[in-house]
Amino acid sequence: MKQAAVWMSMNLALGALLCACDAIRPPADQSVGGALVEVAVFEGGYGIGWHQKIAQQFNDERRAQGVQVSLWGDPRVQDKIKPRLLRRDPPDLLLMHQLPFWLLVSAGKVLPLDEALNQPAYGAEKPWRECFLPGMLQSYTSGGKVYAVPSSLGAWACWYDARLFREHGWSVPSTWGEFESLCERIQEAGIAPLAFQGKYPRYAWFTLTALIQRCGGLAAINRDNRMDAGAFSHPDVVRAAGLLQSLAVRFFQPGAMAMTHTESQLQFVNNRAAMIFCGLWLVNEMKATIPAGFEMRCFNVPLVEEGKGNPNLFNGMGLEYVFVPTDARHPKEAADFARYLVSPRNAPDMGRSIGVISPLRGGTPRDTVGPPLQSALDMIERAQGFFNDRLSDLMLAWDNQVMQPNLAALLRGAMTPEAFGAALDAGIAAARRNPDLVIPEYLPFDPVAFGETP
Amino acid sequence: MGRALQRTAIYVVLGLWLVAVVLPLGWVFVNSLRSSQEFVANPFGLPWLFTGGPEGHARAEAWQQAKANYAKAWVESHFSSFFVNSVIVTGCSLVGIILISAMAAYVLARFRFRGGRALFLYFISGMMIPAQLVLVPLFFQFTWLSRAGSRLLAPFGLELRLHDSLSGLILIYVALSLPFTILVLTGFFKTLPGELREAGIIDGCSEYGVFWRIMFPLARPGIVTAAIFNFIGLWNEYLFALVFVSSAAKKTLPLGLASVSMQSQYKTDFGLMFAALVIVIIPTLAVYMLLQRQLTSGITTGALKG
Amino acid sequence: MTERTSQRVFAGVFLAPAFFLFTGFVALPGARALLYSLQKWDGLGRAEWIGLENFARLFQQGDLFLKALGHNLFIMGAAGSSVIGLALLFAALLHRRIRGAQLFRVAFFFPNVIAAVAVALLWVLLYSTTHFGIVNAFLAQVQSGCHALGWTWPNWRLPVPFLDSRFLIYSVVPMIIWEVTGFYMVLFLAAMEGIPESYYEAAKLDGATGFQQFRHITLPLIREVLTVGLVFLMISTLKFFDAIWVMENQTPTRDSHVLATLLYQKVFTEYNVGYGSAVAVCLFVLVFLGTLVSLRLSRAERIEY
Repeated sequence: MKQAAVWMSMNLALGALLCACDAIRPPADQSVGGALVEVAVFEGGYGIGWHQKIAQQFNDERRAQGVQVSLWGDPRVQDKIKPRLLRRDPPDLLLMHQLPFWLLVSAGKVLPLDEALNQPAYGAEKPWRECFLPGMLQSYTSGGKVYAVPSSLGAWACWYDARLFREHGWSVPSTWGEFESLCERIQEAGIAPLAFQGKYPRYAWFTLTALIQRCGGLAAINRDNRMDAGAFSHPDVVRAAGLLQSLAVRFFQPGAMAMTHTESQLQFVNNRAAMIFCGLWLVNEMKATIPAGFEMRCFNVPLVEEGKGNPNLFNGMGLEYVFVPTDARHPKEAADFARYLVSPRNAPDMGRSIGVISPLRGGTPRDTVGPPLQSALDMIERAQGFFNDRLSDLMLAWDNQVMQPNLAALLRGAMTPEAFGAALDAGIAAARRNPDLVIPEYLPFDPVAFGETP
Repeated sequence: MGRALQRTAIYVVLGLWLVAVVLPLGWVFVNSLRSSQEFVANPFGLPWLFTGGPEGHARAEAWQQAKANYAKAWVESHFSSFFVNSVIVTGCSLVGIILISAMAAYVLARFRFRGGRALFLYFISGMMIPAQLVLVPLFFQFTWLSRAGSRLLAPFGLELRLHDSLSGLILIYVALSLPFTILVLTGFFKTLPGELREAGIIDGCSEYGVFWRIMFPLARPGIVTAAIFNFIGLWNEYLFALVFVSSAAKKTLPLGLASVSMQSQYKTDFGLMFAALVIVIIPTLAVYMLLQRQLTSGITTGALKG
Repeated sequence: MTERTSQRVFAGVFLAPAFFLFTGFVALPGARALLYSLQKWDGLGRAEWIGLENFARLFQQGDLFLKALGHNLFIMGAAGSSVIGLALLFAALLHRRIRGAQLFRVAFFFPNVIAAVAVALLWVLLYSTTHFGIVNAFLAQVQSGCHALGWTWPNWRLPVPFLDSRFLIYSVVPMIIWEVTGFYMVLFLAAMEGIPESYYEAAKLDGATGFQQFRHITLPLIREVLTVGLVFLMISTLKFFDAIWVMENQTPTRDSHVLATLLYQKVFTEYNVGYGSAVAVCLFVLVFLGTLVSLRLSRAERIEY
């Protein structure tokens, strides 16, 4: 009997050893004697060094109150976070995209930020809410409440090497016709006109959205975002798809459809391809690999002849949004740190340190960034505003299973623009039948306010 | 004449496959010695470390680069901690699996009692359950177990977190490996002569003593076979680690490798990537080389591990 | 205390850990998966009973599930047949006691012990369409070599975009063959080595050729192991996950999903626990049938030598 007890307790001891070695621990808060705010950040081309610096700064100021921020990042942070939201143990503050955001909002898993937005901003005399560029909070508003704020401004542009252009006597095109003939001349010079991140067809979606606006104006963007019946079969959209297709078939670099973003962007910075469509993050992402003398500059997607859209607008939006999950342990402190992170006080330093353009009005002075981003700022300043597509973030399954494969087929020339539009429409109709889908109200872009005739 | 020709043909076929298997692995190793710039410029040739670069790169510099790749992987990308985590998880799991399975298997193999056969079948039925089936329920089960445990532990200022802990992973690995290991070891214990137990009892051993001093050591060949297959499976396990571990501090090697490959895409660092691959591959290579005789002789057992 | 009771206590103490672990962390969750598959649940709010609706959705025309299952079956067919064929060939060749057999055996098995994640990343690099993609470089060499000989064939459009989602299911086939052939070779070889030499000597006296010996002695005698291997291969291709997940950067598309990736995506990225569990249950049914067959066969009467 004694031995039975010995063996049983040995088993238990072994079990305890195996299980308790790190599953039982003191709550993280104890280490700071107050509130430890966990912040998870998307780690892309910018890295997370700057965010960590701001967190450190914040911690120094809050040490007395016992509030400390612990910030971590990951390139696939959304995949790390999704299970954690599901197990009701999320970080206190999240900075990322590609989450089923509206599903979370409708399940009551996201806290509105309005209270913090009405408090004064750090480094300005007015409420935080009023510091944002107009339209910036629109994408994250529902039922009059703001559930997230963007931490950077994204804009879509076509990038080129000014030195290469100079050497060959090429100039920046202002119309689509000029753009295509430029591509022809580049091809004649033995260089691939356009690199493309083909492994992720999504990259072309941004170009297509811009072309849809150029062809059909903001009215077309509104139709798509509202998911009107047949929105993507509209002649304006079909025309835009046709332009994109003929560009891809004729001028994309051979093999581009299997290249990751890094591979294709490497082709661009090594002058194997002359231009590439990309977001502003390109500058940072390729910083380490840009050869000396490479003059990276950008221009807006050119105007389309006889199009209805205002060509000065750009495809952009507030990116890398910040929000506080309902299951956060320290929601108040988290919202406070969000207000600190996205503040007039810290925005110029963000431009200077990591070359990210702030979503705040005047947040990124021209002298804080290098020439590549200055050319982007020029483009932004010329614009009266911006527009964007909301479907790819709203309907993740549609984006993944319908939009991207069909877009890839369109780019390869395996599908007509008409069939492409019809496929997107059919996909939307099917996706809307999905009882799990949550669609928030849509606040349309106003064509008149942006200088377009509807 | 025909014989020689036949012989050559055999060697050509086998030799081609040998090249196909060894060449990519050699390429990984060689590339881990190059800087990213060198890799882009010279992906297939001998590394500059051996030949000196085209513009008379000093070898010392190339050597620094090679070391830098590994240093970056080991320190900056935290492969040292991934490695330690993998060792802990695999090691603890193996100890748990072997001990628990051996105990159960010994009883199931050597004692006749009511329901014994049914119990054996119950365990074995686990082999038909793909891990993917239990993945999702386990995920939610861990959530409520952690909550319940934390409530119990709250008075002591502690909390229970099965998610995101190596212990949670160990628990799952042990439970999921039981059916296969019990099957193998039961078969093995059945082959041991029954007189040994009687002899042990006569010598004054208790049942526990018989197991621990006589049966367990005798079962070593079976245990080694089971351990090798479990080791390879656990060291390389990805799916469960992906679901149950999210914080960087608890990542195992496959998880760390996958995330470094993502990072190296954003930073375009090939040297780091290859060094990381080598770090992941080397331990299994070493274990395999050491134990390949036992492994290949127990291969028929391995085929049962689904 | 009687000897009988103490023996009972002993048995109880030894069986308890395995029993509770297995029940709590395998059997009960398995049963719970069945329940989940009958619910509509996003994992966040309340679950709702919907009967077999999830399964009805799986088998709807055009659903991802059928597509993913098709991909699994394709991999099973294409990779499986090649692996078994090659493994048999190599085992038969090595079985002839050629010099260096040990080296080949050790080397061929090796890819099997490498983490599937590492193998996938290695092949991502091999398949790259940029200039360091070794496979494309090799194809280009072959093509230009053939053209130099004056042939008009082959006319591949290089570089071949192996990692394009549309081709990924085809591209993983060579990878799987590369990875697992060694395992099955060693498996078959072990079985072949159990065949008494006298059988072959007798056959030689009858004037049987090498191939005839293989066909009439080796094959029938290893049939049992061959079936076990085949079933095991089928099961492992059903569970295929790591490579697709890594090669698609964790976002497989319609063209590249397999059952396990679909399950993960539905539950953990789209928060559709009911649907995901229904996929898991289907996977279970398939694996269950496979394992049942394999256990039955491996216990089938052995041929006595």
